[in-house]
Amino acid sequence: MAKYLIRRILQSFFVIIGVTLLSFITLHIAGDPTYLFVSERASEEEFARTRARLGFDRPLPEQYLSFLIGLSRGDFGNSLKSRTPAFDLVVDRLPATLELTLFAMLVATLFAVPIGIVSAMNRGTAVDGGAMLLAMLGQSIPSFWLGLMGILFVGLTLRWLPISGHVPLLKPLLAGEFELFFTNLPSGIRHLVMPSLTVGVFSLSRNARLVRSAMLEVLSLDYIKTARAKGLRERKVIVGHAFRNALIPVVTILGLEFGFLLSGVVVTETVFSWPGVGRQVFNAINQRDIPVVQSAVVLFSFMFVLLNLIVDLLYAVLDPRVRLE
Amino acid sequence: MNLLRMIALVVIVLGLTVMVGAQAPGPDDNTLVVAQTVDTDGWEPSEVNSRPEANIFNHMFATLYEITVSGVLEPYLASGISYSEDGKEITFTLHEGLTCHDGEPLTAEDVAYTFNRAGDDANGFTGNTAGFVFDSAGFIRAEAVSELDVTIFVERFQSVNHGLLSEVFIHCKDSYEMMSLEEAAQNPVGSGPYAFVEWVPDSHTVMEKYDGFNLREVGFDRIVWRVVPEASTRVAELIAGNVDIISNVVPDQAAAVNGSGVAEMQAVQGTRRMYVGFNQRAQYDDTEGGRAIKDTDVRVALQYAVDVPTICATLLGTECERMKSMVNPPNDNPNLAPYPYDPVKAGELLDAAGYPADENGERFHIVFQAGSGRYLNDANVVQAISQYLTDVGVIVDLQMMDWSSEFVPALRQHNVGPLYFVGTGGGTWNAQYDMADISTPTGATNYTEWSNPEWFSLRETLADPGLTAEETQDIVNAMLEVMYNDPPWLFLYFQPDFYGVSNRVDWNARRDEKIIVYGAALAM
Repeated sequence: MAKYLIRRILQSFFVIIGVTLLSFITLHIAGDPTYLFVSERASEEEFARTRARLGFDRPLPEQYLSFLIGLSRGDFGNSLKSRTPAFDLVVDRLPATLELTLFAMLVATLFAVPIGIVSAMNRGTAVDGGAMLLAMLGQSIPSFWLGLMGILFVGLTLRWLPISGHVPLLKPLLAGEFELFFTNLPSGIRHLVMPSLTVGVFSLSRNARLVRSAMLEVLSLDYIKTARAKGLRERKVIVGHAFRNALIPVVTILGLEFGFLLSGVVVTETVFSWPGVGRQVFNAINQRDIPVVQSAVVLFSFMFVLLNLIVDLLYAVLDPRVRLE
Repeated sequence: MNLLRMIALVVIVLGLTVMVGAQAPGPDDNTLVVAQTVDTDGWEPSEVNSRPEANIFNHMFATLYEITVSGVLEPYLASGISYSEDGKEITFTLHEGLTCHDGEPLTAEDVAYTFNRAGDDANGFTGNTAGFVFDSAGFIRAEAVSELDVTIFVERFQSVNHGLLSEVFIHCKDSYEMMSLEEAAQNPVGSGPYAFVEWVPDSHTVMEKYDGFNLREVGFDRIVWRVVPEASTRVAELIAGNVDIISNVVPDQAAAVNGSGVAEMQAVQGTRRMYVGFNQRAQYDDTEGGRAIKDTDVRVALQYAVDVPTICATLLGTECERMKSMVNPPNDNPNLAPYPYDPVKAGELLDAAGYPADENGERFHIVFQAGSGRYLNDANVVQAISQYLTDVGVIVDLQMMDWSSEFVPALRQHNVGPLYFVGTGGGTWNAQYDMADISTPTGATNYTEWSNPEWFSLRETLADPGLTAEETQDIVNAMLEVMYNDPPWLFLYFQPDFYGVSNRVDWNARRDEKIIVYGAALAM
């Protein structure tokens, strides 16, 4: 187990370095970013001075090496736009994005599981057909359209939920400001519902279909027949025997789900004016604020790698046949 | 069945939250909410880069003079201005009894500090002040000559210096001297009618009326600047009554806004001049289009080929007047008339210029480059222009480029074209401000490298500080006539701007893209 963990951590290290290298190359391949940091009337001397100040006059390998040296010290540099530590800027926005993705994952998982189970248990019936039709729709609808329709009908016409904006929950919680957290809670959840459903509906639909197919496969296995033959109640067979084994593919997808949701929040954060990392990185890419982009890339890669490591460890818990070596 | 119970619990909690929490009421009578597309990057007053940022800063930081809606420079922190004989020393006299938001008196020393700090290379500022104002005005240094008088030293006299220097956001020495650049970027200490209260990046900024500021009457005690990047969401928030003023309304949402009964759309002819540039650089000489547009007659002919009013009406959602020069009305040459749409005449002029149509109706091929997503409906506008040009036999190879990564770097190096589409900000207060785009044949913003010697020789004469206003306007008119007859640009339109304004608020949009709301008040 320890050997496995060490190997995975080493792999993760190279994954993160690889991702930073790729993003670094991509950001520079589009040309000299200095043009975005000088006025259109800047003289050549001013341009050269700014280029030197931002460090873009150095060879690319040298620039990347400085980034790695900084990274080893936990120093990502200052944002080129706001002049404040880039990593702090990203960390400051992270709670808002986490609220959105975690809530979306929660919704996607909690609703997908019963829908998948009920569908599998009623295979071929109208219930199954209806549920899978909705799941197909959920996977087909673009999230920005769904978000805008939500704003139009739920926000503007029915006035049930706020149209846009964000009330922080995770940030006060992490800061130990519990009074503020509880004050914000009702409004925070109201602000969360539409954006998180928008982000999560694709995952919900996919997970429902995944649970259904996993359940159908497990339900046809001999040990389920044996359980039924032994006279176990159907509820016990489904929840106690079939569902646990059907969970393995679902858990696998959950690890990847987080990365998928993080990459999908950019559109949703824009539609709902959600001040999260997705919008921040999108703006930083447009402004070529490289330290901010790199900070987010490292942070996201780290979270993604960590979550998938946890998922792999969960396999062993769910299925005793799996040995981590 | 713990899982099912948990799911039921979550559903009940969500349902209750939704039911209990109908939308909060809109802003109270003392609060004005403005929604813009982007936020500020920070609070450094010398590092303001965009119009939405400047809109926020304009309410926290005052300037020496202020440009009114009608384009007149009006005293603000300063009560007067005087020039040295050669026009290179400009002295501003401040009002008495001014204070910054830290409570410190605002004196000439603070103004001098503001200018010198912004111009200090060690600070590396590249925003509007250091990157545009100081470059354009030829700023050298500032010096407090008495408690209320501050002199700004510039390299040359220009009539626009007064207005340019009035774009600088004044701040107090005591607070800013104590802060590092990083701290200053987070802690604004202003000098204007509203003081900073709260900033949640990419969400909102709250500011409250500063009681120590008496130079302007304000209509609301509190302003909230919200960031709502998506156009449809901004409109929804306006109609729901959660915001009072929204910018950048998409024209096709006018019906929704006007039909809501709670808000109205305001369309104004903006000051941004949209044009197609004819790049004259030698690098295009080996292309037939590049060679063709070096000919003045071809450039004049193409003015007749594009139906600008139809582009405005169909693609921009409003009527607009075609530009007749690079200067915004009312400072332009009144004797010039916009080129009319006359494709037959365009064809005749092209024939006469030596570019007859072949059997396929083709005269020459040309590359047309444009960035996407920067201007109102830009992708469709450039396609329409391409089609109009093709209709008169100019076969256009339209190349759409990513705005920030491809188009801007190429534009800055004068490497777009030979045809390119761009918009350039202008003003209502001085013709020469608009004409500064073409200051020298290879100047940074003369992307066409147009080099008409008559234009530049007339421009030299404007540097005389002894000229009267009438004499100056005569020279400007002569220059604009030169440009009209030898156009470096295919003149298009002044980009219209669209705002949504709640009926509860009395506020009128300006032409110069500025959102100034201290004059706004609750509608009677």
